[in-house]
Amino acid sequence: MNRTDDVSPDLVERCQAGDVDAFEELYARHSGRIFSLAARMAGSPETGEDLLQEIFLQAYRKIGGFKGDAAVGTWLYRLALNHCLDFVRSRQAKMDKATGTIDDDRSAALPSRHESPVEKIDLERAVQQLPPGCREAFVLHDIEGYEHREIAKMLGIAEGTSKSQVFKARMKLRALLT
Amino acid sequence: MRLTFLAAAASVFLLSAPSAFAQPPAPPARPVRLYQGRRAPEQSDRVSRKIKLGRDGRVSIANISGEIVVSAGGGDEVTIDAVKHGDRGSLDRVRIAIDDRPGRVDISTDYGSWRFGSNNVSVDYMVTVPDSTMLDVKSVSGDVRVTGVKGSVRAQSVSGNISTNNAPGVEWAKTVSGNVDLTGVANDADISVQSVSGGVRANGLKARSLDVNTVSGEITLQSATIERLNARLVSGTFEYGGALVRNGRYQVTAHSGDVRFTVTDNPGFELDATSFSGEIRSAMPLTIGGNGGVTVTRSRPRRGPGQSLNGTYGDGSARLELRSFSGNIVISKK
Amino acid sequence: MSPHPDGVTLSEFADDALPATAAADVRQHVTSCAECQALVQSLRDVRRAAARLPQLQPRPEVWTRVERAIRAEAAPRRATFRWSWLAAAAALLLAVLAGYTLADLRRQPAAAPSVAATSDDPAAAAQFVEAELRQAEDHYQKAFTKLQQSVNDGKGSLDPQTAATLEQNLAVVDQAISESRAALRAQPTSAPAQASLLESFKSKIALLEDTVALINEMRNGPSLKPKGT
Repeated sequence: MNRTDDVSPDLVERCQAGDVDAFEELYARHSGRIFSLAARMAGSPETGEDLLQEIFLQAYRKIGGFKGDAAVGTWLYRLALNHCLDFVRSRQAKMDKATGTIDDDRSAALPSRHESPVEKIDLERAVQQLPPGCREAFVLHDIEGYEHREIAKMLGIAEGTSKSQVFKARMKLRALLT
Repeated sequence: MRLTFLAAAASVFLLSAPSAFAQPPAPPARPVRLYQGRRAPEQSDRVSRKIKLGRDGRVSIANISGEIVVSAGGGDEVTIDAVKHGDRGSLDRVRIAIDDRPGRVDISTDYGSWRFGSNNVSVDYMVTVPDSTMLDVKSVSGDVRVTGVKGSVRAQSVSGNISTNNAPGVEWAKTVSGNVDLTGVANDADISVQSVSGGVRANGLKARSLDVNTVSGEITLQSATIERLNARLVSGTFEYGGALVRNGRYQVTAHSGDVRFTVTDNPGFELDATSFSGEIRSAMPLTIGGNGGVTVTRSRPRRGPGQSLNGTYGDGSARLELRSFSGNIVISKK
Repeated sequence: MSPHPDGVTLSEFADDALPATAAADVRQHVTSCAECQALVQSLRDVRRAAARLPQLQPRPEVWTRVERAIRAEAAPRRATFRWSWLAAAAALLLAVLAGYTLADLRRQPAAAPSVAATSDDPAAAAQFVEAELRQAEDHYQKAFTKLQQSVNDGKGSLDPQTAATLEQNLAVVDQAISESRAALRAQPTSAPAQASLLESFKSKIALLEDTVALINEMRNGPSLKPKGT
């Protein structure tokens, strides 16, 4: 999943100097991975595209401060992850304000009986359609590979909550793979 | 690389989207005279509002003329107290625009279609924010003061001073003719501080790196714990007092100003200092050329004019790269 | 048979994330419980399938929007790009003055006599340095002039005090430049003088760029915030 950062050393310098063509090359190499993260965290490709745009604009503004002590892809990914987490957190705050806390943490052992009968909608769409909360934890754990401890910090939840969210997501998705 | 100075100061002129904010309260029945203006007597209008924000929210404040004072309030609300000063006719044309969305509150002074310089209204803001708020403050001709805010802080002014106290998350502080005064900054970010003609002073600063530059201002750093320092001055003087970080790298380039390091209990450093016409002195004896090499404490002339002093003190764990054109370079012990 | 472990425990077990004793207990149950075994297997299947999801690609329009946004911001940056090129020109000059031949640097037939070869002839070395210096300065001068022009055009957008402060500080930097230049003329091989001149050029470009950026912001008024920020 992780591509090695094989950018030529002067690509970063050209980006820092404001060379838009160099920046396009950076975008070409990394936008796939970052878009995947954003679309899945946001739950829709449209929002994912908006986030992708904001992320790269932010990267363009901040690349001047990139010190080269890590691969530029790693730096970019971290920037993207933080941006996605900000988005998730602010959306969560909005939801809390609007409807009180949405408590969908019912007994997670049973898949919902109300789900439409099994039509094999593809896994990608299913992931994006997971309810927020369990979707973000699932994306970060099962797709991006983070540990529950790290996810807890990123999402501002307890480690136990991260584990139960991932379990809940897996239960919802497992119905589609049988 | 340069960060575009005040890149988003344009938000100062932001014509806000229709905000949920109601019209400012009706002016008092009797005009309040603060001081005699040139034409009409000056009056003031006060605007107050409380907005729930919660943890890790963002607050931005953009103002043109007037003070901005932000402090951490410990709760989960943003309280805004804005006082407009100006003559009656002008006051009504300037609006305090407050835009609140989930996780953020954006406050700005909206002059409508007026351009900067064609009005005489100033607005003083007193804002309290939740402790963990991320703050972005921009002003043109007013001072900016931030206290106690724990989230990341960026502050810019053109002619105002910037001072922060017990705000550990300062990342950016820039001004043109004002001074920058930072106390108690402690984070692991890369900090950028700049003033053109004002001085920069930081006490007890901890960060991954500090990039600081002035043209004619002085830079005074006390007790800084930084892995990398990059300081540039033209006519100002640079002074550092405190310990050096092991494996820290300190680069200071001055033109006519002196570069002074007053070092407290320090295991060692490697010095690479050059001055064209100034003197270079070190209170600590430096060894040149490894064990058993020559020990010097004063600069020796290079081949050709200019002084240089290169050597190691103690375990050589920190690195000082100091340059001045006509200023002196002095390392002393506290 | 021991009681079924709860779902989250089975999920952790599926990830081999349980501590040894707990894992042993669960393993013992699962070996003799078909239902839990099936659940653990399907949890593992989901994880494996998720980890294998192919990378998504954004539509081409997204890059177009990013490009438009950054070109809108790129205007002040263009000067920085020029500065980088100038810095490279100046670095070249310094390398020459330090004794490398132009041939060493460009791997082409030397366009000028090497400094080392002229060390016996200080007058020729001084002349050579002068010529190179003048060339580098010309490049900087062009950048200064353009930036200064923008500053002059836009100075009305700044309040008088700020404009005056910036003027005064520009004079400070110009003073630094002439001092460095004088020193370098007198002692062409002095590395501190060379470094000072280069630093002073950088300071001037930086100050002019900052001034232009400030003028643009004052003059252009509102800028569209990117959606969502």
